[in-house]
Amino acid sequence: MDNKATILMQKYEVGHFLGQGNFAKVYHARNLKTGQSVAIKVFNKESVIKVGMKEQLKREISLMRLVRHPNIVQLHEVMASKTKIYFAMEMVKGGELFYKVSRGRLREDVARKYFQQLIDAVGHCHSRGVCHRDLKPENLLVDENGDLKVTDFGLSALVESRENDGLLHTICGTPAYVAPEVIKKKGYDGAKADIWSCGVILFVLLAGFLPFNDKNLMQMYKKIIKADFKFPHWFSSDVKMLLYRILDPNPKTRIGIAKIVQSRWFRKGYVQLEAFQLPPLSPRNAKDISDVQAAFASSSDSDSDGSPMSNKEDSPMKLYRFNAFDLISISSGFDLSGLFEDNQNGRQLARFTTRKPPSTIVSMLEEIAQIDGRFKILKKNGVVRLEEYKAGINGQLTIDAEIFEVTSSFHVVEVTKIAGNTLEYWKFWDQYLKPSLNEMVWVWQRYEQQQ
Amino acid sequence: MGCYCSTSKKTEAQGYEEPTVLASVTPCEYHDPSLNVTVSEVEALHELYKKLSNSIIEDGLIHREEFQLALFRNKNKKNLFADRIFDLFDLKRNGVIEFGEFVRSLGVFHPNAALEDKITFAFRLYDLRQTGFIEREELKEMVLALLHESDLELSDDMIETIVDKTFSDADINGDGRIDQDEWKAFVSKHPSLIKNMTLPYLKDITLAFPSFVTGTDIEESEM
Repeated sequence: MDNKATILMQKYEVGHFLGQGNFAKVYHARNLKTGQSVAIKVFNKESVIKVGMKEQLKREISLMRLVRHPNIVQLHEVMASKTKIYFAMEMVKGGELFYKVSRGRLREDVARKYFQQLIDAVGHCHSRGVCHRDLKPENLLVDENGDLKVTDFGLSALVESRENDGLLHTICGTPAYVAPEVIKKKGYDGAKADIWSCGVILFVLLAGFLPFNDKNLMQMYKKIIKADFKFPHWFSSDVKMLLYRILDPNPKTRIGIAKIVQSRWFRKGYVQLEAFQLPPLSPRNAKDISDVQAAFASSSDSDSDGSPMSNKEDSPMKLYRFNAFDLISISSGFDLSGLFEDNQNGRQLARFTTRKPPSTIVSMLEEIAQIDGRFKILKKNGVVRLEEYKAGINGQLTIDAEIFEVTSSFHVVEVTKIAGNTLEYWKFWDQYLKPSLNEMVWVWQRYEQQQ
Repeated sequence: MGCYCSTSKKTEAQGYEEPTVLASVTPCEYHDPSLNVTVSEVEALHELYKKLSNSIIEDGLIHREEFQLALFRNKNKKNLFADRIFDLFDLKRNGVIEFGEFVRSLGVFHPNAALEDKITFAFRLYDLRQTGFIEREELKEMVLALLHESDLELSDDMIETIVDKTFSDADINGDGRIDQDEWKAFVSKHPSLIKNMTLPYLKDITLAFPSFVTGTDIEESEM
């Protein structure tokens, strides 16, 4: 961050340092386009991504890019350079819940509200396959309305390798919230571990101190493994009953989210939130999560100004599936633009059908883009974009090739110039695109003659 | 209002209507979609219409062969879809497209035309036998026509799979055919299905015929 002055990825103006979390630095930043304030969390990339964790991390962060919940800090964007990974997150202006508790325990009704919001958020993420694995007051923020915001869902794999180094790093974060099965290191269910952590948090909110604590770390671990704790005298019988079931050292018999929500103590004053739906993931209207794909590409393929759409990884493309009406609509009989023979403004569109697999089309386009290093390749769902590095007089030449699936062995490809000089496009088309595409073509459906 | 008058013609071609009348026509009067073109656009369209309508038979009317010639540069090229469009443009069902029909029908393709009208026009286009529904056999016939037009060969099984998959998505009530409500819902899910229903050129047409723009003494009516 220090080396890059104050602009990150040409997108964010980075401001003052906000603090140091678990092995991450957090900065205030402003989106240059929208003016929106965000928190930028910076991790060293290779040193913290544990071998084997990468795909899980990628999957969870991709899901978090799509999650919307009023009690979860929104993950706006993921960016990466060779050595660092950056998360642009919602800026929460109220501070940490930890700060409130450090000044003494909360009233029962206040603690219950926070716990209700916490369980809602955790249940929402679990239902979508994302666990937190590092729940503790420092990850619980309070916004200006006094509502809870859970942060760092899906990011725990970034710090897991450090925790596995042993006990040396406990200074940065207490393990007092960790579930017994995590300490035993025999493999564990992240969702059940999160529930235990919620129980410890609830205890702390109500008590003002930790349920398992000892100056000697090994003694603390023993207490956790045995669930050796005592309730302060001011705990009500209902909350005691609930906490006994949450702080059950056996994950198999530990209470689940659904039963927590049904418990008498939890239900008091509880307002069920409307279910939040994941947006549909169809290629044509999916929210863009290509930044996550790009950020987790091999570091040797990234460069410090890499675009979120850059991704040379050969991941399977999500193609729009043509239906019968899509197929019919490509008929030239439907194209009335031929009536206007003097048209000068038509899109530069070529279309063909092919029996080649999409990966062959993509590879060919990548080869063409590399000629003279002229184009950057961007991939998003079924679209491969060639974007010129240097802007000409009329702007950067930009070409989209979109691949549509009709059947598993039959695809339609549309190639369109979407920006830049028309003469430059036709030169490129005649010299490179058309000869290479000809090898792929089963039938040319349409291409515009040069005018 | 000024009267359009061509110095090269002594009498108006059959089918000619006053541009201002066409530009201001209301849907309820003719049961047609709203006209979405301005007066000067109507005049520019008339120039285009004259070119098309006299390309083979000089009677001032667009015949099917002239329509095919305009679309494909080949008067003999048959196309199921072009035929369907011709039939829908031919509002009077008399085998030719008159100028008024031409302007009214093209209005649906204007970028400013109502989405509802585009969806309805597309539905009527695909309802080959005008039963008020898109039948499964009609859809299959159209897929086969497209494959034939493109010299593509797919196996019968593959064609059945494509049609079946589409029907299972679109035919919500499962009665084996697609009605207008189901079609509207299907298009809402797949907006690209009506991309052919918009011609950006209609916004630019006055630029293509500058002599008519500068020559007109009629003020453009506001949309």
